[in-house]
Amino acid sequence: MKTNKNIFLLLTVFYLVVTGVYGYWSSVAYGQIEVIGTAAIGMLVFLSGFIAFYFGKTANNFTGAEDFPDANIEDGEAEAGFFAPFSWWPLALGISSALCFTALAVGWWLFVCGFPLALVALIGFVFEHSRGAHAH
Amino acid sequence: MITTVKKSKGRIVVDWLTTTDHKKIGYLYLMTAVIYFMIAGVMALIIRAQLAMPGLTIVQTKEQYNQLFTMHGTIMLLMFATPLFAGFANVLMPLQIGAPDVAFPRLNAIAYWFYFFGSFVAVAGFFTPQGAASFGWFAYAPLSNTTFSPGLGGDLWVFGLALSGFGTIMGGVNFITTIVTMRAPGMTMFRLPIFTWNTLVTSILVIMCFPPLAAALFALGADRKFGAHIFEAANGGPMLWQHLFWFFGHPEVYILALPFFGIVSEIFPVFSRKPIFGYRTLVYATIAIAALSMTVWAHHMYVTGSVLLPFFAFTTMLIAVPTGVKIFNWIGTMWRGSVTFETPMVFALGFLTTFIFGGLTGVILASPTLDFHLSDSYFVVAHFHYVVFGTVVFAMFGGFYFWWPKMTGKMLNERLGKIHFWLLFIGFHTTFLIQHWLGVIGMPRRYYTYLQNDGFTWMNQVSSFGALILGLSMIPFLWNVWITHRNGVRVEMNDPWGYGRSLEWATASPIPRHNFTSIPRIRSESPAFDLNHPDYASPEAKVAVKAKAK
Repeated sequence: MKTNKNIFLLLTVFYLVVTGVYGYWSSVAYGQIEVIGTAAIGMLVFLSGFIAFYFGKTANNFTGAEDFPDANIEDGEAEAGFFAPFSWWPLALGISSALCFTALAVGWWLFVCGFPLALVALIGFVFEHSRGAHAH
Repeated sequence: MITTVKKSKGRIVVDWLTTTDHKKIGYLYLMTAVIYFMIAGVMALIIRAQLAMPGLTIVQTKEQYNQLFTMHGTIMLLMFATPLFAGFANVLMPLQIGAPDVAFPRLNAIAYWFYFFGSFVAVAGFFTPQGAASFGWFAYAPLSNTTFSPGLGGDLWVFGLALSGFGTIMGGVNFITTIVTMRAPGMTMFRLPIFTWNTLVTSILVIMCFPPLAAALFALGADRKFGAHIFEAANGGPMLWQHLFWFFGHPEVYILALPFFGIVSEIFPVFSRKPIFGYRTLVYATIAIAALSMTVWAHHMYVTGSVLLPFFAFTTMLIAVPTGVKIFNWIGTMWRGSVTFETPMVFALGFLTTFIFGGLTGVILASPTLDFHLSDSYFVVAHFHYVVFGTVVFAMFGGFYFWWPKMTGKMLNERLGKIHFWLLFIGFHTTFLIQHWLGVIGMPRRYYTYLQNDGFTWMNQVSSFGALILGLSMIPFLWNVWITHRNGVRVEMNDPWGYGRSLEWATASPIPRHNFTSIPRIRSESPAFDLNHPDYASPEAKVAVKAKAK
């Protein structure tokens, strides 16, 4: 977990430096900051900084046997997680989203057909394995 | 224990359509990507036929020619190479970290279907009256607006790619989460196989550079369909588009390259019988390439005359350093090893030689003074085909021959594999080496035809002849797949190559549904090798064995 945090921390610092250098250099060269590139790299500072912050914050909760070099397989948690054996909803969501996106190119009439389907597919996808709050 | 129950055809189709198994989704990605590879390959052959002689009209109109090169580029980058990464990563990464599946299996399926339908929408432009998009795969403003490129094909291209891009982002998030949270006990970050490292770093690049593409595409769509004026020339729109597009477009090249660097990094140690040389430097080089690749985008824009030349020339040349480190790692791995030349290894060597050429011309193009002369000429075409074909296609076939027994349980034929390699290698270099000189003497890219007295004729003929060989090289491969499917002998063992290193070689071939019935103890980056060759295991693994004996 610490390694993960450090990777993103490294990226944050690097992009911070690059944003500064690029912004300053372009302002010297052109008399004004080159806005598009500076904004684009600047956003990466936030993106990588945000992920680094999250990993740092949750490191204690999520450090498991996979981070100990002398862990044995039996030290892992017995339950690896829940894996849906199959699902129709990804396909349904794919088709209905494709209708909506095509509608943007073709015309709103198709959107009227696609959007309700996408809504149904999205709800179906989200609640497929839900058993209600507090139930396990 | 694998029990085979004969299933009805309908049952099989339903299984594939509703699957959440990372391996099946991976195979869907690989199959779809190879089909698109062949479609775009046929487009390339038509382009080369058109250019084989001056004044030909094999492609009837110039507009159709524009559509062909636009869709060739779009398909090869976004419907072949990028999903090919998702395919290999899906099949292999969970195996290599000892996980039963990816973190979000259903999201994984959505990512595939978004790619599948998004690509279909983008390509469907060919079925409209005006044809597909024709503004080049980088869709420069103002050429890509409705005044200069009217027609439904362009709109479908924009929104199809946006949908497919969302799929790619979901895939990237899924891979990062899986690698962070689902590693087997003892599989620390610095024991991850190089391919898994490269999957992680590539996924980080995906979440960094695909959102700007989605934003730019939606803005372009708004301009084309809803009367917005975001990329209007009066507001500096062309520069805005170029910045946004290449801010995606350059890291995209590394999204294509890094996973395939990962594949050859798996192949070299197995056929050299040596651990990878300089594991940590290889990891750091990968991270360095990823970090730097976000800062070099405007080297595609030197000729606009309004980018910061020294900054981008410096960062671009800097990125050659970690790339060079990787090449030393691969050569160092083979150095004094017991190298054997099975088909995967031969393809990996083909990758290495081809990629070095592409890297060197990249350094030439990074220099603004040289780029001003060469930009938009066939030199650039030759350069990026050496880079992208060299990594993606050679490493892809290397990966297919390498992991085919793992994926299907049957070895591909070695002799046909060698024939395939030599046809591909000779065909590729005949097609593209000559194009460097075509560019130097001034042939521009994307031209419909040329004149007899331009002096381009014989070089184009050589190139087109090479393209024919290149196209033919698919035949032995497809034949190989077919006869292996029909007559191939089951390998019946975990590690048919004998010296496999990472965890996928410690489970059955083909792989059982949730990957492992048991996982060996992990004490180094090559647990399968430690298990099968305890005398030559890594020092850490030996210590562990001794401690257990006491």
